[in-house]
Amino acid sequence: MSTLDVGTYSPREKGVVGLLGVLGALLLLAVVTGFLAPAYLLYLVGLSAMYMLLSMGLNVQWGYGGMINFSVAAFFGLGAYGTALLTASGSPISGGVSPVVALFGGLGLAAVLAVIIGYPTLKLRDDYLAIASLGLAEVVRIFILNESQWTAGSAGLTGIPLFFSDWPVLGDLTYPYVFYAGGTPVFNMSQSVVTSFLNVVLVSVIVAAVYLFLRRIHQSPWGRVLRTIRTDEDLAETLGKNTFAFKMQAFVIGSLIMALAGVFYSHLVLFVSPQDLQPITTFYVWVAVILGGTGSDRGAMLGGFTIVAIQQGTRFLTDTGALPIGAAPLRLMLVGLLIIFIVRLRPEGILPPERELIWPDSLGGGRDE
Amino acid sequence: MAQILQYLANGLVFSSIIILGSIGLSLVYSIADFANFAHGDTMTLGAYGAFVAFGVFGGLGGTVLGLPIGFFIALVVGMALAAAVAVLTHILVYKPLDTDSIGLLITSIGVAFVYRAVLQASFGTDFLQYDISRSGPIPVLLDTLDVAVTQRDVAIIVSAAVLVAGLHLLLQRTTLGRKMRATADNPDLARVSGIRTDRVILVMWVVGSALAAAGGVFLALYSQLDPRIGFNILLVVFAAVILGGIGSVYGAMLGGLLIGMLHELTPLLSDVGLPISNAYAPAVAFVIMVAVLLVRPRGIAGDMT
Repeated sequence: MSTLDVGTYSPREKGVVGLLGVLGALLLLAVVTGFLAPAYLLYLVGLSAMYMLLSMGLNVQWGYGGMINFSVAAFFGLGAYGTALLTASGSPISGGVSPVVALFGGLGLAAVLAVIIGYPTLKLRDDYLAIASLGLAEVVRIFILNESQWTAGSAGLTGIPLFFSDWPVLGDLTYPYVFYAGGTPVFNMSQSVVTSFLNVVLVSVIVAAVYLFLRRIHQSPWGRVLRTIRTDEDLAETLGKNTFAFKMQAFVIGSLIMALAGVFYSHLVLFVSPQDLQPITTFYVWVAVILGGTGSDRGAMLGGFTIVAIQQGTRFLTDTGALPIGAAPLRLMLVGLLIIFIVRLRPEGILPPERELIWPDSLGGGRDE
Repeated sequence: MAQILQYLANGLVFSSIIILGSIGLSLVYSIADFANFAHGDTMTLGAYGAFVAFGVFGGLGGTVLGLPIGFFIALVVGMALAAAVAVLTHILVYKPLDTDSIGLLITSIGVAFVYRAVLQASFGTDFLQYDISRSGPIPVLLDTLDVAVTQRDVAIIVSAAVLVAGLHLLLQRTTLGRKMRATADNPDLARVSGIRTDRVILVMWVVGSALAAAGGVFLALYSQLDPRIGFNILLVVFAAVILGGIGSVYGAMLGGLLIGMLHELTPLLSDVGLPISNAYAPAVAFVIMVAVLLVRPRGIAGDMT
């Protein structure tokens, strides 16, 4: 790596930021001209942030630790089902629990599953881990699909409350909500806009917290050991590190972040079904991570944004009727081609990790870490 | 007892399908050295290829085991199509890649999506059927053993057996087979011995994909055809390959037989009082797969080629 100063950005980074800026401006323009409903734009922002969370979770496992986890959908699903089963009015188990408490239900389920899946599989060779984790994720999906006395089965869970539904002020807002400035109403907002906005605030807080947390642990000695394991597990072993314990910790942390995304998803979409646990969810997240750059959290953010662009863009394109192909196959085709071309042309991704890997002090100083 | 015989009969049909899938997966795993996640969709591709071909040749007269001659022609067309697509994919996608086995694994997921996207765009997601009328169980077996087996089931088992026997002869009795076994065993040694391993790898793709396509056709014949059948069965096929021992063709056959049987014997669990319903049949296979990986990653026939 040549001289890399904090504060200066590579042309590629500038390009990505510029592109995102243009896209953002276009979306804003679409809202202002009434082409796109504001609530829908906010919903898309929330969804992108959810994929960012999933990608960051996978990054801890694959990007930092080199573990090929193909059970992303299972952890996402358990987070979503955990909170939904506790809060939803349609829940066959209990329902009615406050979302803030239920959050921990979802996380707890995911943590237990992470240990159950991780304990046997993390000792396996890379490609075996991929197959085994995909198989175990399918077991989870089959379980949720068939044990309808607990999970409502293929019908899915409805009646999930908003995350803020029982909060003191936010839960009691009346709609349309009117902003007053000095006693005169300035503008009013519909319920969907306000709830979408609150969801975006919520997920922004989660993403920011997770990002800072990951950056911290990644730069810690713990993160250094994990990177050593990814590069050469035998070397880490020789250095006296209990590599299995480190991998297990990373696996659980990553899974918890995925479950967090699932919890948010439940309260964003207000409906979960076994469809959400299909392997395709896992592969979407994989595309996001390898596109953005394995091990790079900024890349994960770019990847999450791209996935939502593909999902919603294909829907939009086929709605206009301009294409002779349905939205679902078009999406599959794009994701498939994206995977093939990334591995062929840019295996390190678009925003590979650079300064994430080192302390800011060591940049430019020429001193090896 | 008759119940168990019935499960075993079903198991034999399902095993035939799994065996055809697992041979190709195992070949690619040993020769090209990666877990090919596109293998399931290769099966689907063959099934759709045969579906289209059956529309053309289906009218041809004469029947064998209740299936029109045209069906067998369509089967061959489906196998040829899958083989051609696999070779093309190998040349266009996998070969130019400068990556490790994990990179290839991830790429194969992309390939699987592209195959499925093309099929889904062309045929939609509705269930399709080969236009062959179904007949009831064979009366003799029903009367004597109280087991319901249709002519179609027998046709699947016999066809699979013929294909597997053909592969066995190819591997054991021909020069090409010896080259294939040598390359599977030790690619570098094979190369320095003067075997053109590039060509052997192409043959491997042809054989593996053609057999997978046959498995896909029989799977569609056994149940029905939709763009997901192959991917849905892929993990069961992986379970068979891993149980048999990765890279071993005969192990894959044995693993396929066992996993297919266990898959269809799952109802036995609830018959003896375990609350595990039929829907968990694939889950049982996956759990066995993980257990084998942990206890005996070489598989039960790890060293035979």
